Amino acid sequence: MTTLTAPPAPAETRPAGTGRRRRRWSGANIWLTVLLILASVFTVLPFLAVFVLALSPEGAQTIPDQLPDEVTFENLSGVLSASSFLRWTLNSFVYSIVSVVVILLTAAMAGYAFARKRFPGSNALMWSFLATLMVPIQATLIPMFVLVSKMEGVNTFWGLIVPTLANSQAVFLMRQFIKGLPDDLFDAAKIDGAGEWTVFWRLVLPLTKPVLATLGIFVFLWHWNDFLWPLVIAQTDDMRTLTVGLSTLNAETVARARIMASAAISVIPCLVIFGVLQRYLVNSIATTGLKG
Amino acid sequence: MTLERTAVPRPTWRQRVRDPGWGLLFVLPMLVLFVIFRFVPSLGAIGMSFTDYRLSGEFSFVGAENYSRLISDDLFFDSLRVTLLYAVIYVPLTLVVSLGTATLLHHVVRGRGLFRGLLFLPYVTSFVMAGIIWIWIYQSDGLINGALDGLGLGPVPFLTGNQAMVLGSLAVVSVWKSFGYSMLILLAGLKNIPEDVMEAATLDGAGAWAKFRRITLPLLRPVIFFVLVIETIAAFQVFDTIYVMTGGGPARASYGLVYMLYDQGFRFFDFGYAATIGVMLFVVVFVISLVQRYVLDRENT
Repeated sequence: MTTLTAPPAPAETRPAGTGRRRRRWSGANIWLTVLLILASVFTVLPFLAVFVLALSPEGAQTIPDQLPDEVTFENLSGVLSASSFLRWTLNSFVYSIVSVVVILLTAAMAGYAFARKRFPGSNALMWSFLATLMVPIQATLIPMFVLVSKMEGVNTFWGLIVPTLANSQAVFLMRQFIKGLPDDLFDAAKIDGAGEWTVFWRLVLPLTKPVLATLGIFVFLWHWNDFLWPLVIAQTDDMRTLTVGLSTLNAETVARARIMASAAISVIPCLVIFGVLQRYLVNSIATTGLKG
Repeated sequence: MTLERTAVPRPTWRQRVRDPGWGLLFVLPMLVLFVIFRFVPSLGAIGMSFTDYRLSGEFSFVGAENYSRLISDDLFFDSLRVTLLYAVIYVPLTLVVSLGTATLLHHVVRGRGLFRGLLFLPYVTSFVMAGIIWIWIYQSDGLINGALDGLGLGPVPFLTGNQAMVLGSLAVVSVWKSFGYSMLILLAGLKNIPEDVMEAATLDGAGAWAKFRRITLPLLRPVIFFVLVIETIAAFQVFDTIYVMTGGGPARASYGLVYMLYDQGFRFFDFGYAATIGVMLFVVVFVISLVQRYVLDRENT
C-alpha cells in the first residue's frame, strides 16, 4: 500500500493488554450499527433504484409504488444498440484511457526530475505548478476554449484530451513518492553505468508501481466523470462523452426507463473499478490526499 | 534488476548537478502542457476581461468596462448570493454527515470495511449520473414523494419550490455524491488521535459527548479545517448538478456563479464578460481560503 506521508502507526499495533476497548457487542454498538445501516441505505438505495427502473418495462407500474411485475432487458439492449450511445461510450474510454497513460508517464517524468534532479529554476517551477491548484478550472474555461478553438481543437479528440493533461496533483504526488525512495538505489544504478532513460524505465517506473496504480484509478475516474470541459469542447453528437450524452438525453424527452438504462450502463465501469479496487482506493485517499 | 546495495561513498553535490539538462528534459512534456493550458489561460482570463471578445474572435480593449458592468449587474450579485446560500447549506451539511459517519465507522465493532465501502460508493459516480437519479427521487411521483404520498403527505416541490428548497435539494445531491471523500479524511484523522488520551478521560469519568467535544474536536481541528476548505471551494464551483437538474431555475433560483459564467459564455457568447466572471470566481475562492485560514489560525492561538 502507498504510504506517502508516513501516517502514524495505527492504534492496532500497540502491545496488547494496555486496556484497549473490548471488541464485543454492547447497547451502544447496536445503535452504531443501526445508524450505519440507515446511512448505507441512504447511499445505496439510489443505485438500486436506477437498476430497478432500468429493468422495468416501459410505462409499467414500478417503484416507488411497487416492484415491477416483470423484468425486461429491452431498455438496456435498446440503449446498447443505439449508435450514438456506443459512440459516447467509446469517446469516454478514449478520453479516460489516453489521459491515464499520458498523465502517468509525463507526471512520473516530471516528478522524477523535481525529486532527484537539480536544474536552474526547479523550485520555482514546482511552486508555479502547485500554484495552479489555486485557480479553479472554471475560472480559465473561457480563455482555454478560445485557445483550443484557435488551434482548431473544437470537436477533436486532441482538443478534448490534451488541455486536461496538465495535472499538478499528479506531478506533486509522484515527486513526493520518488523523493522517499532510497538514495542508494539511484547511486548504485549510476555506478553500474545506467543511462538516464534506463534509470527512469528500469528503476523509477517499476518502483513507483503502487502509486502509479492509485493515480491511474483516480485519473480514470476524474476523466470518466468529467463534464464541463467535454460539454463545451464536444459540440457535435459524435464527439460527446457519456456524461455529456446523458445530459442531452435528460434534456430531450427520452423515456425515463431509457435514461435510467443509459445511466446504469454508464456507471458500470466505475462500479467495476470500485468493486475490484475498493480497499486500495479507500486506503489511498487518506495517505495521498488525491481529490477530484 | 541487478541493482544491489553496495557500500559506495555518496556522490558529491557537484556530481549530482553535473547534468542540469536531464532534469529539464524530464520536466519538459509536463512543462509544455502547463505553459499552454494553465499559465497562458490564467493570464488570458485577466487579459480577456479587459476586452469585449466575441465568438468571431474580434475584440477591442474596453478598459475596466466589464468590471463596472459587473458591479452594476443585478444578475451577478444574484448569482453570488445563490452560490453563497448554496455554500452555507452545503458545507455544514457535508461536514456533519462526513464527521458523523466517520465517527460511527471509527467506533463500530463489526463490519467496518463493508460499511465504509457502501458509504463511499457514490463517490465513484459522476455528478451528471447523480443528478439524473435524484431528479427522479425528487419528482412528484418519485421515491420521496411516493413514500410521502403513502403517508398522505406531499408532494414536496423539491426542485420547483422556493430558493432555499431548491438549493437545499441540490446540496443534498452533492452531499450524497461526495461526502465519502471527506469521511475518509476525517476517519484517518480520528485514527490518529492517541487512545491513551481517550482512556484517561474515560477513567476521569468523562461521558461520550464530553470526550467528543473536549478531546476529539480540538485534536481533529486541522483535519476539519482541511475538509472545510476543500468543501467550500467545491461549493463555489457547483455546476454539473445545476446544469442537469434545474438549468439555473426555477426563475433563476439556482443561477449560481459558474452557471452564469457558462451561460454568458456559451449561450450569449459574451466571452469578455464571461472571462471577467471567471476572474471574480478566482478572487472569491482565493479570499475565502485566506479568510478561513486567518480565522482558524486566530482561534488556535
